Amino acid sequence: MSAAAPVAVRRRGGRRRGGAALPVGIVLLVLLPLILMPLAAIFVFAFRGGAADFVKVLSSPEAQFALRFSLLIAFATAAINAILGTYTAYVLSRYRFRGERPLGILVNLPVAIPTVVVGTSLLLLWGPIGLLGRWLVPLGLQPMFAPAGVLLAHLFVTFPYMLGAVKPVLDEIEGTYEEAAYTIGANRWQTFRWVILPALRGGLFSGVLLTFAHSLGEFGATVLVSGNLRLKTQTAPLYIFAQFEAGNVAAANAVAAVLATLSFFIFFFLLRYTARRGR
Amino acid sequence: MDSVQTRRRGLLPVLFLAALLAYAAWPWLPFSRDTATPPTIVFYGFSILSDVFQEGIFPAFQKQWAAEGHGRVEFVSSFGGSGTVTNQVILGVPAQVVLLSLESDADRLADAGTIARDSWKRLPQKGVVNLTPFVILVRPGNPLQIRDFRDLARPGVRIVHPDPMTSGGANWAIVAEYGAGSRATPGGPGAGEAMLTGIWKNVVAQAASARAARTQFENGFGDALITYEQEAVYDRGRGRLRADVAYPERTILSEHTLVVVDRNVRPRDRPMVDRFVQYLWSEEAQRIFVKYGFRSATEALNAANPGFGQIADPFRIADFGGWRTARREIVDRIWKERVMKQAPR
Repeated sequence: MSAAAPVAVRRRGGRRRGGAALPVGIVLLVLLPLILMPLAAIFVFAFRGGAADFVKVLSSPEAQFALRFSLLIAFATAAINAILGTYTAYVLSRYRFRGERPLGILVNLPVAIPTVVVGTSLLLLWGPIGLLGRWLVPLGLQPMFAPAGVLLAHLFVTFPYMLGAVKPVLDEIEGTYEEAAYTIGANRWQTFRWVILPALRGGLFSGVLLTFAHSLGEFGATVLVSGNLRLKTQTAPLYIFAQFEAGNVAAANAVAAVLATLSFFIFFFLLRYTARRGR
Repeated sequence: MDSVQTRRRGLLPVLFLAALLAYAAWPWLPFSRDTATPPTIVFYGFSILSDVFQEGIFPAFQKQWAAEGHGRVEFVSSFGGSGTVTNQVILGVPAQVVLLSLESDADRLADAGTIARDSWKRLPQKGVVNLTPFVILVRPGNPLQIRDFRDLARPGVRIVHPDPMTSGGANWAIVAEYGAGSRATPGGPGAGEAMLTGIWKNVVAQAASARAARTQFENGFGDALITYEQEAVYDRGRGRLRADVAYPERTILSEHTLVVVDRNVRPRDRPMVDRFVQYLWSEEAQRIFVKYGFRSATEALNAANPGFGQIADPFRIADFGGWRTARREIVDRIWKERVMKQAPR
């Protein structure tokens, strides 16, 4: 369920009308076993016991908690990274400084690092016997195996998505508009708020949804830092995995179907938005 | 760009997200919140314990605790491979009570300084909560005529086995296989090793936990699965077993060890945690375990479950000098150093 970069769909221009049957057929033929059939399988197996069964497994306290907890973490992750990511993108785009390039690469690394490694390093850093975590224990602070740990992992893993969505837009905005704003006496914040932010709306929107969707499906880092505690830190993907492991395929697929549906809407909005902007 | 239209189009996703947020946050909103959060016991268990604890033991203890006039108690639990659980506890998950598949995982916790050495031996039955022998699951009708461990060594048999690195059950299975060989031939540690080599040549998949191995087998992978009898008995009782059970002539009775992680138990929760630990050996709890397919150390209680099979020569880990010796001699020295190096990759 990991989020892929959205494809900007062009509404008009360069679109062909006739002769679509063959290429569309080829695409469908390729996508059917690769993507469409596995997606359909989620729903087929989720509903194999009938709709009543589907509702029953979904309404179990564990499933409800897992879904709610995942959503809350996704909202928090999206909100925090919207601010952090935008600010980082702004600094990287507007200032020239030593180490700018290495920093630009570093902040994108979370995409390439296996999430299990992210989880392990967070544990070794903030865990109760970790490098920094051991100094927190006497203070009664314990970020790992708690919602805070899950949030930390998700912030790390999704950070590049916000940046990737916002920075290209920022790079494109011409400096002259900002300069014009400054010349009529706007301060830095006013310029950002009234000149840059409106132009950024599209990037922000897609960045937030991508981050949200990615956080919703995050597994590798979460399974390590959460302790996988039912009704406490178990996110929806962890619930799905636990249920699969226990042989409860129906329960696993019911929650998976909900996640897939949510992701569908998220990307539906995303594509609609980018389609409009492409016009 | 038409700004009115923009606004209207942007409204739908915003409404969608707002509805999601409202749904997600609902239980935590001040007016919907159950104000008094009851005391909680954090329980970690190895993979096959999930159902018996969630459906059987936890509710029964909650009733018992309330009946004793203490009010409510909640359980927070997590289940996984015994080795995985052990690693999590070492890394500091807030587990208070942990039921491990095998004592050597308890030894690892003690080695890491997480719990006091041998602290579990002061519990009833030296910390062993329940038992279950290791059996072989085969496809319905037993098409390959697998009746005992030696049949698993035949060429062409494909075995699904849990991974001894993370699964307690896999360690039990290795000692079961070794013991089945060595005890069949008097004075035969060599026969034990030969049995292991024969079987492990045929292992086609190693899953992280006994439960995960079972899921692989259920999904049609392999011809045979070496696993806890409990899984077969429990599933057959619910009419869900789609496999035959082969009872080996000689096999091990696994003993599941309970540890209490004292550093995670706050003083005010101490009586509750202690009561829960004692409760696990009560007749009521033991009967629940038997109902879910585990064997009780109190032999008389086992008659309550007609699903248990007969084993001619059951043996225990003590017959191999306990887990410390068995781990060193059988798992590390023979299986890891010799058998795995011969097994074709």
